[in-house]
Order: sequence, then structure tokens, then C-alpha cells
Amino acid sequence: MARLSISHLKKSYGDFIAVDDVDIAIADGEFLVLLGPSGCGKTTTLRMIAGFIPPTAGSITIGERDVTALPPWKRHCGLVFQSYALFPHMTVAQNVAFGLEMHKVPQAERGPRVAEALRLVRLTGFDDRYPRQLSGGQQQRVALARALAMQPQVLLLDEPLSNLDAKLRLEVRVEIRELQRKLGLTTIMVTHDQEEALTMADRLVVMEKGQVRQVGTQRELYEKPADRFVAGFIGRSAFLDGEVTAPGRFRTAGGLDMVCAAAAKPGPATLALRPERIAVGGEADGLPNRFTAKVEHASYLGALLDIQVALDEHDRMLLQIPNRPGLTEPQPDESITIGWAEDAGLVYPRGA
Amino acid sequence: MSTAAPEAVAGARTNLAGLLVVPATLFVAFMLIGPLAILFRYSLNKFVPGQFMVDALVIENYVKFFTDAYYLNVLARTVRVAVLCTLACLILGFPLAYVLARTQSRFKNLLVIAVVLPLFVGNAVRAAGWMTAFGSRGALNASLMGMGLIDQPLEIMYTEVAVLIGIIAVNLPFMVLSLQSVIEGIPRNVEEAAFSLGANPAAMFRRVLWPLALPGILAGTILTFILAMNAYATPVLLGGPKFQMMGPLVYGQFAQQNNWPFGGAISFILMTATILLTVAAHFIVQRRNR
Repeated sequence: MARLSISHLKKSYGDFIAVDDVDIAIADGEFLVLLGPSGCGKTTTLRMIAGFIPPTAGSITIGERDVTALPPWKRHCGLVFQSYALFPHMTVAQNVAFGLEMHKVPQAERGPRVAEALRLVRLTGFDDRYPRQLSGGQQQRVALARALAMQPQVLLLDEPLSNLDAKLRLEVRVEIRELQRKLGLTTIMVTHDQEEALTMADRLVVMEKGQVRQVGTQRELYEKPADRFVAGFIGRSAFLDGEVTAPGRFRTAGGLDMVCAAAAKPGPATLALRPERIAVGGEADGLPNRFTAKVEHASYLGALLDIQVALDEHDRMLLQIPNRPGLTEPQPDESITIGWAEDAGLVYPRGA
Repeated sequence: MSTAAPEAVAGARTNLAGLLVVPATLFVAFMLIGPLAILFRYSLNKFVPGQFMVDALVIENYVKFFTDAYYLNVLARTVRVAVLCTLACLILGFPLAYVLARTQSRFKNLLVIAVVLPLFVGNAVRAAGWMTAFGSRGALNASLMGMGLIDQPLEIMYTEVAVLIGIIAVNLPFMVLSLQSVIEGIPRNVEEAAFSLGANPAAMFRRVLWPLALPGILAGTILTFILAMNAYATPVLLGGPKFQMMGPLVYGQFAQQNNWPFGGAISFILMTATILLTVAAHFIVQRRNR
């Protein structure tokens, strides 16, 4: 396994910039997830690392080796596709042995290594099956074993769980993660599934429109989102548009005055609030921001109640309160008191 | 799956499905099997000059074919031409089919039409065109001689090479279309997986693309082989009277010699040879890829 560094990576197709100056360093054994909406450039980035797309500019280094100009078959990247991409005319064992054969591993060594790779993904005894005789989850594990058997420098996962059904997805997610830890695999995974990204990653890279918006741990992304996009993409946020009138003072478009963190510079801004940071009813007493809000919609979600409220005609908010025995969800048009601390909201200058 | 499997054919549970295959079956039975059966019967008759055909049950027509070096030569030449044409179509057609199958170009449909377009020109018309271009007084020789590059006209027409080129040109679209449809069904990801596992393009082709494209390769080679074995217009027009192949030979026996029994025998020899060689090739290719 090796560390990997991507520097000033860029890919443009004519006027369209698919990946714009991406700079990431991945430590040896780290599990990094590229996360973003479709078309954000995450898959293009992964395919440039694998060698399928030549970058317009920038470089990729695996270990000590600059691989930017190398074809995919010389890069030693284990790649797992969303669609598994198993060789349908080969048995499971032949599929797994393919990489060993291509790397001229002596015949005598192949058998034990294939067996070991299949053992890792818990498919011992499936050697002579053909891919079409396996379930989706099993096929994906064969694809993983095939990539692992050749002991790649880095493991690249391209939405590996998207084709699996929900229950299986949870299982395979844990399995991949455990295997990755155990073997110390330097791994990059691409996904658009936020929950998947949060449960699997050591660190995440949030991308949008070809650019890296933020790199950080789950906690950093959730608690200190770098911009409004990240605040809305990782977890949920209510956004209030308005302006910072003075240090620590925010006025919404609807004219409500609020207290916010003092660091924000005066000017047009957006206040982002996490729904679970907002207190309701008696719990709002004594908080610097207290408002009466009208309930628009409430959803019972089991562990949580999801409530959408309006502060006035312009400003809408989302709250989440934990379900407790005896709690009934508020009815539409009911008035409730809500409140939050000054450091609960994050202020982002608008137009940035 | 909890849901019932859908009917494979609409109306399978009624007798409609049975009825749907009737017209084509009847057509084939009347137009192909019937005449063939009669032809086979004729091939066992005797040919007596002046009396046309005499009822008999003899194999002398077959014996005549297999004991005469001239006819055996025609058969050998036909097989050779068909094999060479089929190989050439495969070698020329595969790269073209691959590009057609994989292109993301918005002109893809146009490219496919361009491949099919030559089929709009019939064999005879095309061969006649070549006669004007490649004949000893044709455009090519006239230009080359005019430029002083050659003294004698190049002998292109009425050679085996001319026939080979002619049949390859006619058959190539069939090969390309057979291959293209199969290659399109092979996910690009599978090729990429092979690359990522360390296979260079040659290894990827040998171990992944070729075996997966095999159904298309078989379909394409069988189609072009049969067409080449039975070629008529191209050998007649481009090969000239001395270059005999099986197709023209059959026609000659029927239309010029009026020897229906021998013509019938040659027809059956041609048909049998085509089927045997096709089946043999099929088995060889399949076994090698087990």
C-alpha cells in the first residue's frame, strides 16, 4: 500500500471544466471518500487516478512514482466498479486469478493467493461458479477479491454499493470497511450517498462543480462546514437569507433581528442552522434568539419529529426534536416557541 | 421473485403463438425444402444428351464430380476464396466494428448507415463499375500509363485477386454489423477492469474482448463464408470465363448445358461442403475457447 497525492489536477472538455484544480493528499492506509452530487467531477477524478482519463493538467503520484503519464495497466490500482464488471466467461477463481496472471505471478503462487482473496470476502468454495450464478452482493465481493488479489497500491471504489439492495448495502459497507482497516488499504471511494460516505470514510472530500469544497472528517464537515453548499449537502440545514448588520447581529429578509457569532463581517449573508440545535417550547427559555413560529408541517419519523415552521412570510425553518413518551406532534398552524444559542448558527457571506 | 414470469411471447397461452410461426414456416417449406427435395431427386437421375433427363437412381453424377480434377479444382478454389474472404472480412471488420460499437459520436447512426450503404449497390452494378475502373483500358490503367508509371496495363480484372477483393467488399458490411451488435453488448467496464488488473491492450483483447465477442465472430464468419461460397455475380463479372467457382458452375449446368442431374449434384455438393465447413469451424473455435 502506498500514499497517494493528487496535485492541481484538472480536466476540461472544451469550455467545460469537469475537474478544476483538485489537490488532495491521501495517507498510507487512509479511507478517503469523494462525495458530491452527480456531475461534480468525483468520478472523473477517480478515473484519472485509475488512468482511464488523461488529465488536462496536474499530476498524480502513487507512493514515490509519478503515474500521470502511465497507462492503467501499469498503475497497479485495484478498481471496483458499480456494475461489478466481472468477466462473464470466467469462473470466480479465474476472475480473481486474472490480475495475478497479468502480473506474471508464478503459477504455484496463484492458487493460494486466489484462495486467500476469496477467504477475505467470505466466498471460499465458490471458485468454480460463474458470475451469472451469483447474487449481486456475491458478485461485488468477487470484484473486490479480484482487485485485492493483485495486492494493489491503492484501492479505488466507484460507487461500489449503488447496485445492491438496501439491506445488503449496509452489510457490504461494514465488510469493505473492516477489510480495508485490517489490510491497511489506501482507499478512495466515490459515492453520492451521504450516509454511506459518513459511515465508511476516515476523511471526506466534498466536491461540487469540479471543485473541492471542503476536505475533512465527518465532525469537521458537519460542525464547521466551509460554505453554504457543504452546510446543505452534509446533513440538513435551514437557511435564512438576510444581512449582517453589525458584528454579532443578523437581520433576516423578513426583518427579524437575531444574535449570531461575532466573527461575521457586515454585508449580505445567509444564516445556516442545524435542525437539532433548535430548542422548542420551555427549552427555549433564556436563549438569546427566541421566536414564536407557526407550524407548517410535522412528520413523525419514529425516533425524531421533523417540524417545518415559518417565522414570518419569508423565513422558514426546520426543526428536529427527539421523540419522547407522551410527546404529540404539533398540528399545522399551531404556534410554538423556538430558540437557539448565538453560536448555533453559521453565517456565510452571500454570493460566495 | 414473487411475481409470475411474464409470457415469453404475447399470447403464448392461447394458440396465437403457434399461428404466428405458420406463414414463415409454410413459406420456407414450399420455397426451399420442396424444391431442394426435387433437386436432390434429379441429381440421382441420368443425363442422356438429346433426351434431357432419364429417370434413374444412380450416383454417377456425384462420381463424375469427384473423379474429375477440373470439378475438384473448382471446389477447392471456391473453398479457398471463401476462407480467404472470410478471414479478410474478420481482420478488416473487427477494428471497424469495435470503433462503431464504442463511439460516443453523435454521428454514430450515420457511420452505421455508411457501413450499410454499399449494400444498396447490387453486386452486378458494383462489378460493372469496377470493370470500367480496373479493366485493362479502365480509368486506373489509363491514368498510370498516361503518367508513364507503367508500360503495360496492370492485370487486375479476371484474376483471383479481383474476385477476392470483390467478394470482400460485398461481404464486409455483414461481418461488421454482426460484430458490432455483439461488441455493443460487452460493457466497456469489463475492458477497463482488465486494464486495471494489469492487462495491456493485446492481453485484454485475447483474454476478454475476443472470447466475449465470439458469438458475433461466429455469426459474422458463418454469414460471410456462406455468402462467399455461393457467390455468383462477382466471380462471373470479375473472374471472367476462365475463373470458375461453384455458384456459376451450377448455373452453367442448368442454363447452358441443360444437364439438370449434374447441376443438382453440384448444388448438393456445394451445400454440403458449406454446411460441413461451417460446422467444423464452429466446433474448432468453441473447443479452443473452453
